[in-house]
Amino acid sequence: METLISVIIGLVAAPLLGGLIAGLDRRLTAWFQSRQGPPIMQAFYDVGKLFGKEKMVVNQWQILCAWVYLIAAAVSVALFFAQGDLLLVFFVQAIGAVFLVMGAMSVKSPFSQVGAQRELIQILAYEPILILVFVGFYMVTGSFSIHAVWAQDTPLLAKMPLLYLALGYALTIKLRKSPFDFSTSHHGHQELVKGVLTEYSGPYLGLIEIAHWYETILVLSLCALFWHTNVAWMALLLVATYMLEILVDNTMARMTWRWMLKRVWLLGMGMSVVNLIWLYAG
Amino acid sequence: MSNLLVLLILLPAAAALVCYFVRSMAVRKLTVLATGGILTLSALGLLAQGTFAPTEVGSFLGIGSDFLIAVLDFVLLGVIYFYGYKHKSLLIQGFTLAQVVLLAWFELVMVGHEAVPAMMGDQLSLIMVLVISIIGSLICIFALPYMKEHEEHLHLKKTRQPRFFFFILIFLGAMNGLVLSNNILWMYFFFEVTTLCSFMLIGHDATEIAAKNAVRALWMNALGGLAFVVGMMLVYTQAGTLNISAILALGSTSAVMLTGLAFLCLAGFTKAAQVPFQSWLLGAMVAPTPVSALLHSSTMVKAGVFVVLRFAPAFAGTFLSTGVAVCGAFTFLACAALGIGQSNGKKILAYSTVANLGLIICCAGINTPLALTAAIILILFHAISKSLLFLCVGTIEQAIGSRDIEDMRGLYGTNPRTALITIIGILTMMLPPFGVLLGKWMAMEASADSNIFIVVMLALGSAMMVVYLARWAGSMMGTSEPGAKAESQPMLTRLPLMALCLGSVVLSVASPWIYNSLLAPWIGSAPFVVGFGSLESAHGTFVVVPLFLVLGLGLLYAVKAASGYRRVKIVPPYVSGANSASGDGTYVGPMNGDVPFSTGNLYLGEMFAEPKLTPIFNALAVALIVLMLGGAL
Amino acid sequence: MHFDCGSCNGCDIEVLACLTPLYDVERFGIINVGNPKHADVLLVTGTVNHRNKKVLKNIYDQMPEPKAVIAIGACGNTGGIFREAYNVVGGVDKVIPVDVYVPGCPAKPEAIIDGVVAGLAKFAQKVEEA
Repeated sequence: METLISVIIGLVAAPLLGGLIAGLDRRLTAWFQSRQGPPIMQAFYDVGKLFGKEKMVVNQWQILCAWVYLIAAAVSVALFFAQGDLLLVFFVQAIGAVFLVMGAMSVKSPFSQVGAQRELIQILAYEPILILVFVGFYMVTGSFSIHAVWAQDTPLLAKMPLLYLALGYALTIKLRKSPFDFSTSHHGHQELVKGVLTEYSGPYLGLIEIAHWYETILVLSLCALFWHTNVAWMALLLVATYMLEILVDNTMARMTWRWMLKRVWLLGMGMSVVNLIWLYAG
Repeated sequence: MSNLLVLLILLPAAAALVCYFVRSMAVRKLTVLATGGILTLSALGLLAQGTFAPTEVGSFLGIGSDFLIAVLDFVLLGVIYFYGYKHKSLLIQGFTLAQVVLLAWFELVMVGHEAVPAMMGDQLSLIMVLVISIIGSLICIFALPYMKEHEEHLHLKKTRQPRFFFFILIFLGAMNGLVLSNNILWMYFFFEVTTLCSFMLIGHDATEIAAKNAVRALWMNALGGLAFVVGMMLVYTQAGTLNISAILALGSTSAVMLTGLAFLCLAGFTKAAQVPFQSWLLGAMVAPTPVSALLHSSTMVKAGVFVVLRFAPAFAGTFLSTGVAVCGAFTFLACAALGIGQSNGKKILAYSTVANLGLIICCAGINTPLALTAAIILILFHAISKSLLFLCVGTIEQAIGSRDIEDMRGLYGTNPRTALITIIGILTMMLPPFGVLLGKWMAMEASADSNIFIVVMLALGSAMMVVYLARWAGSMMGTSEPGAKAESQPMLTRLPLMALCLGSVVLSVASPWIYNSLLAPWIGSAPFVVGFGSLESAHGTFVVVPLFLVLGLGLLYAVKAASGYRRVKIVPPYVSGANSASGDGTYVGPMNGDVPFSTGNLYLGEMFAEPKLTPIFNALAVALIVLMLGGAL
Repeated sequence: MHFDCGSCNGCDIEVLACLTPLYDVERFGIINVGNPKHADVLLVTGTVNHRNKKVLKNIYDQMPEPKAVIAIGACGNTGGIFREAYNVVGGVDKVIPVDVYVPGCPAKPEAIIDGVVAGLAKFAQKVEEA
């Protein structure tokens, strides 16, 4: 019963929080750039406006894929809040990612096609890292389930510092921030016009935006698990991580997929493997 | 029950003879349909009767069955040698002669010829029988219209279908025999029959390339056969019996036994086309599609992993087990990587098959209850999904004349039903809540208990598989013109496709109950508890039925939302404002001429090109196998 | 979204200046997008000629309703000093309906922002009607 309540809370709160974080993101980015920036609720205004626009598609697959992307993202957040299996949460989220790619590939637009191919490479880059992070969770807590994390006394960050840094790579890719935003970039930036999202418009773009909020909350919740013992420190960790993301976004240029693949696989997986070896040895 | 066994093993052989000698299309069709039906019913009947302990097989027409098998063995080796001679292949001749010599020594000098109950049926055998009989029957039914079209396409004057169905049906019987064997010599015999059938079927079209690939398949499988004989002999030296159940009960007692088991695993590796032997499977893709679907994805190559899995309890906890796991994981990684650089649809499926087989072998090597559960789940669901995909590619190839996925772009516009079934097939291969992903999930969770190399290889390989499968599925999504001609398909083509498609989805939903009834008893210390339609354990829980419900409802809603799309405004794609009048992605280019839309997938050739990676992977794999064999000593 | 028809780029540079920290049009929640399908307001600079009128019409059609159009600079409003040229059709309103005209050569960023805010008001009006 409590699971059901926490699932409902998660499903309702996640997009609200996600939108708020998106608004704060733009505000903070503006502050970094000595600008004023939009109101914090801007993300909600934007999505509201999108839902009020005319429905316009190129083909029916876009509608299907946008909805499935949203549903998969929501179900993965629900599963996370139901304290389910981390690996399963990730695979459910992957359904959405795959459908986003497929929806983009169904359109005869060069921007969409190249964006979809690049999105696939992004998935190729972050998926192994996330799986290794989950293996790290298993090594420390003895289970892939989230509710095993609560049984730990010390924060997981103490035992999995390098894995957290590797998770940062995955977070950067998921948030679509430089240097890994070459499939499509977040608000205010263009890459391949809008890459994967070029041909989506109106309500369907709104659906994808909400799905993006769900995914943001999912990855941030995963980061939050690293300091589950104390809410204050958890908040600090999340704030620090997000600030670092925005800093990296504003200071680094957008790179190529080759650079990303090499970096993320060598550095990201390298750090993960080293951390896992520590955990195996210990 | 012995009647059922006779039906499962000997009926296909009899039907094969009918197909070969009675040269009438109608009789052939009837025979194949009838055999398919009877095999399916027999397999289900065997399942209903439940597992059975090793039983005796009496004499056959007055001759002792053991003696018959031994004689047929040598005849078979002679036939293989003959073909090696005919194709001037020293490798085949060498391996076969070695097998003859060693087998003769084994049979005449070493073996005590006590009576061994030759057939046994535990849950693993029953599941394999179901896979072979039901999927095999569906593929044979598919083959009826397919081969007719195939031969018309090749403008053959004289039909070669009798030969085709002869070998395919014999193959089905041999596979059933292999998985039901309790006598290791019988297993070897059926193993070699599948080798011969594979050779004959790969070379079916009798073109030069087919012959070349068939010879390569034959020598690699002959090497596997040789490894099997060597392994068999070493195991007998230690165990003193041909009875497989007894061998398993003995466990790993000595280095000799382990080395024997290692050679048996090597035989399984060659049959399952693990790296460095994957080239025979890749080459086998020149064969007609039913061959690829039946032999080289769902059944014969499963015989290879079956051998490893059958003997897995005997080497649990040893270095050999770890070695097998590492070899399997490496194959998974290597073939997932090689698949990224491919655009040929059948080659993509072939690499995907080898990769999944590597994953199954890795699970068999990890050898924990969770891993073994993963292995069987993977065998079952991979067979269904992969055979479905091969049949789809065959149908598409006959429809559009190409097997390159670039030519399948937007296929939904012209062949909606086939394209949709293919897309569903691809999705069942890589997404939750379907069975293949369930197996992969279990495999990853199990691998967390083993060493770090395996974990990293599985993580990387899994990501790579998503890439090449997702891009194929996405490229097939297109739009149909409003007045387009409806797709026509022969009934016997449509039936297997729909059956397999439905089967993969329905069985995925039923996976908790399949686990409870078949897998949990076989594993002993069952890793999961079934509750609320989910597989729960301390490790982690896979919520099968709830996920199906939620995602299924979501998908239905999405489909409903998408089906009304023609009421929504349809616009052309954005091409910087230069859209031409035709409305799709064509744009106005230089000299006001129309530039048509064209696109291609990113094959990441710098990193993942097949010619570049294959030698490296082959070398590494040989090193790993040597490590595995040496470690057994 | 911003489209440069036949502009000398003077107005375009001023539009770009609006995005800089000094003028910061994002305070109003506005961002510059690249494709019409994501755009609500179309800023057009420069004269319309026989070649780019097709492109202008095309991208205007690809914008989902409700939408607003702002013509910027003298050239965008009426064709400016190039009005009499042989290839010039005239101002933007010869091809698509315009909601706001921002005069100037080039138009100042403050004027552009003023125009955009007026355009937003019109846009909100259209949303109300829809």
